[in-house]
Amino acid sequence: MPRRKPGTLLPLETEILGLALSMLRSGQATFHGFGLAQSMREQTGSRSLTGHGTLYKALSRLEEFDLLTSRWEDAEAAEGRPRRRLYELTAQGARVAEHALAHDAEQATGPSRRPAPKLA
Amino acid sequence: MTPERMAQLVARWVRLYTRKLPTPIARRRVDEIDADLHDQIAHERAHGTSDRRIALSILSRMVRGIAADASWRGEHADANPSTPEKTMKNQRTASRSTVGIVLGAAFILALPLLAMLITDDVAWGPLDFVLAGSLLVGIGLAYEVAARNAGNTAYRVAVAVALAAALLLVWANLSLGVIGDTGDPADLMYVGVLVIGIIGAVIARFRPQGMARALLATALATALVAVIALIAGKHEAPISSVWEILGLNGIFIALFVASALLFRRAALQR
Repeated sequence: MPRRKPGTLLPLETEILGLALSMLRSGQATFHGFGLAQSMREQTGSRSLTGHGTLYKALSRLEEFDLLTSRWEDAEAAEGRPRRRLYELTAQGARVAEHALAHDAEQATGPSRRPAPKLA
Repeated sequence: MTPERMAQLVARWVRLYTRKLPTPIARRRVDEIDADLHDQIAHERAHGTSDRRIALSILSRMVRGIAADASWRGEHADANPSTPEKTMKNQRTASRSTVGIVLGAAFILALPLLAMLITDDVAWGPLDFVLAGSLLVGIGLAYEVAARNAGNTAYRVAVAVALAAALLLVWANLSLGVIGDTGDPADLMYVGVLVIGIIGAVIARFRPQGMARALLATALATALVAVIALIAGKHEAPISSVWEILGLNGIFIALFVASALLFRRAALQR
């Protein structure tokens, strides 16, 4: 796992924020761990899902940075299966995600000297 | 192995690395992974993925996340505000080291487990996993204790080399054997080699000068085993040529001698 420079996000965290923003724009405000891992697999075309520890540690860090918020799913909605932890982008998280997506778009169109996405 | 059994294995792992963390933090991680595992199994089955492939995917996710799990645990163990005193800090460090050793052993043991899912050539029984796990954890803890009490780097490296050589020797004997065919009674001579090393270390009270002598004695004992094996004609066995006996024993002798030289250097630095 790459080392974190103070005040910056790791690529996985940026990827999570970007996906969360895409989901929000398509009308899905909340997401859960496995759903996110599945979306990341589809987006990257990878054969494997992100490791449990890697995924939940990243989600936990994003919550600590106030970029995500989370709550337990209602018991009725769970319909007998284990309750999911539902994550949602905060306003600050959405801003950082937009910045990250813009940064990625710039990177895709040509070399850029802009720094990696920052927390605020 | 079914996906449900593999999910149980992951759940056990999660309970292990969340042990002694504050209950809300531990509970949340355990419940969240439980939901994830349930969702993955349901999703993959609905898409027609075979049970074997689902189980493998779950195992792979667990193994790839082990380093992050350990790091996450470290962060939350550090965040515990009720442990400000030095004694408690030392206990926490020791506990973290133990968790690290167990995590390392679990990671190494996951490799044969993974191999068993892919190929029939690897067939470990529960006893093999228990033996290998005990060996890895035992060697890890022995290193941890020695390294914590070590005065200098040379001593720490010497201990690491000696323990690595002992681990390799035991592993080689338990898996295929060093001399002759698998299960050849001649391999029992290596028990004597290890006993010489252990008794030497105890007599030396783990002091570097004495440890250097103990490791040299261990190297000599290994050389003696090779000579006895050749005199007994073990090189005539189909899978144990002269070069194989000399080569394998040469590796162990080199490691024991290297450790002895490092202990000698550690003694000179004191």
